[in-house]
Amino acid sequence: MQDLLYFVQQLINGLTIGSTYALIAIGYTMVYGIIGMINFAHGEIYMIGAYTALIAITGLTALGIVWLPLILVVALLCAMIVSSSMGWAVERVAYRPVRGKHRLIPLISAIGMSIFLQNYVHLAQGSRNIGFPALIEGGFRFGAEDSFQTSITYMQITIFATTLVCMTILSLFISRSRIGRACRAVSQDLGMANLLGIDTNRIISATFVIGAALAAVAGLLLGMYYGSIDPLFGFIAGLKAFTAAVLGGIGSIPGAMLGGLILGVAESMTSGYLSGEYKDVVSFGLLILILLFKPTGLLGKPEVEKI
Amino acid sequence: MSTPVKKLVTAIATSIAVMGAGHATAEIKIGIAGPMTGPVAQYGDMQFSGARMAIERINADGGVMGEELVGVEYDDVCDPKQAVTIANTMVNDGVRFVVGHLCSSSTQPASDIYEDEGILMVTPASTSPEITERGYELVFRTIGLDSMQGPVAANYLISQDPESVAVIHDKQQYGEGIATAVRDTLEEGGVEVAMFEGITAGAKDFSSLVTKLRQADVDYVYYGGYHPELGLILRQARQAELDTIFMGPEGVGNKDINTIAGEAAEGLLVTLPPSFDEKEENQELVQAFEEKGEDPSGPFVLTSYTAVQLIADGIEAAESTDPFEVAEALREGTFQTPIGTVEYDSKGDMESFEFVVYEWHSDGSKTPVN
Repeated sequence: MQDLLYFVQQLINGLTIGSTYALIAIGYTMVYGIIGMINFAHGEIYMIGAYTALIAITGLTALGIVWLPLILVVALLCAMIVSSSMGWAVERVAYRPVRGKHRLIPLISAIGMSIFLQNYVHLAQGSRNIGFPALIEGGFRFGAEDSFQTSITYMQITIFATTLVCMTILSLFISRSRIGRACRAVSQDLGMANLLGIDTNRIISATFVIGAALAAVAGLLLGMYYGSIDPLFGFIAGLKAFTAAVLGGIGSIPGAMLGGLILGVAESMTSGYLSGEYKDVVSFGLLILILLFKPTGLLGKPEVEKI
Repeated sequence: MSTPVKKLVTAIATSIAVMGAGHATAEIKIGIAGPMTGPVAQYGDMQFSGARMAIERINADGGVMGEELVGVEYDDVCDPKQAVTIANTMVNDGVRFVVGHLCSSSTQPASDIYEDEGILMVTPASTSPEITERGYELVFRTIGLDSMQGPVAANYLISQDPESVAVIHDKQQYGEGIATAVRDTLEEGGVEVAMFEGITAGAKDFSSLVTKLRQADVDYVYYGGYHPELGLILRQARQAELDTIFMGPEGVGNKDINTIAGEAAEGLLVTLPPSFDEKEENQELVQAFEEKGEDPSGPFVLTSYTAVQLIADGIEAAESTDPFEVAEALREGTFQTPIGTVEYDSKGDMESFEFVVYEWHSDGSKTPVN
């Protein structure tokens, strides 16, 4: 019984982390699906989202507003707006001018953007870890009083629920809406979509904006969940989310979700049953295995050479 | 002559005069290397503030052998790669005396360069024993070793008679070194070490670790590393209602841990150098810091001050600015400093250095524990 509770607890930990990886991974996967480039500055967009949310929360608290739902909604909106405009601007400044060139060029441009944004936040906000207030506290506990109890906190429930809602809205948006249909068309054949009268530049911008907005959601959630943020934390999270996107099949939205969850659970099981030291070994080892045996990822479709 | 031209001429004349003055009195450059940015910049602030104060006061007293000390500051971000880069920069800049570095993992690779290039280094903060293990001539420190600090922590834990203790570290030279010293002493003292495990520095998610600690049901958790990670572990542990007592080395004992951990920092045990700023003979110095609006209570402020002062005293004792002769003088002499009487052994370690166990509070203050 004890062992089962322990296993369930590690599973909950893993799924929580995994769902936020998934939220960030969406940004990588959508951009790759549409223009075939890796947006390495995406981790920084996520970090900026977290900073904006923190600034908004601090501001609201200073104004004397204590009603939690209002604080959360305003912080979320601020973070989404700032991150989205940042995502849009990054695409305009760093990627659009080099689109269609050799594929290494946008890649280098993306890395440059990532370094720029990191250092910008360093300068503007300082390099120290800043504490993030825990707004949602408490939780449920299961199991006998005096032995190991499985706990699921309200924060974890919030993370699951938010991820689920975001993913559902995104799937509906892609499959039902006009822009979503245009996204799919652009992803299948950019040149053809252009000929058929789709404003592909607008669709590509929309992709960056959607990815950035979801990253901002993840930024707020993870800031509250972990408890501190610093200008470099987007890099590691971005790397993990990128791994999740590749694992699930880059370019596929359900793949990003699946990849994120698998990665999160694999990490938490490794630190739970082996040792925390092997956490990253396992997650990147998993990536290598997938690339060796199924290069398109779990749910990715093989690229068909068009003649 | 019209006014603008006059101004220009005056400016040129002044600058020539200033340049001339620079040549007239030679200066001794003291390189100060530590983190100005990055996650542990808080400690860098302590180091720079202590060293600056010492340079100011020594210069006000007439300098060293009639020459002025000039502090040149370098940022190593506590990154071993960056430390090597700035060590090479210092060689090019003609620096022959260094106060630094702060993190052991930076000090170690940088000291290789200093030793090769004939630069004398005094670290005010690096406690890893390996730094002075290599028989280098030009390496000194004004702080104790992990092999002294670890046992102080472990002996305190043993005195509390716990059933089992978990030891966690951040896999870096400093953290793992001190965690190993703690584990070994605990095992010698008959305390069971239920867990000995590393985490990744810079990680944010410790939910799995916290779950594991809850499962292990230990009486104490010792963490070897710095405050950004321990702050998060504390906070996530308290949220999961794990109420074990945590303990850490001087790398976790600064006020930044309170901004990360908040209330969860209450009751944390920390081993620190004794509060030199509370010693009676240092009150005049403490006042000088307070007049500048700086806080002398951080663990590395007065050790950095002492590092500069020792370099100055060494130069005077040797009557030479040759780093090898200064090193010789430091090994032979006995020096009165704000951190007490300093005598060096052949390796460059202080003959004695004391660590004290403190209890940390959620408002950033600390009280000694007996």
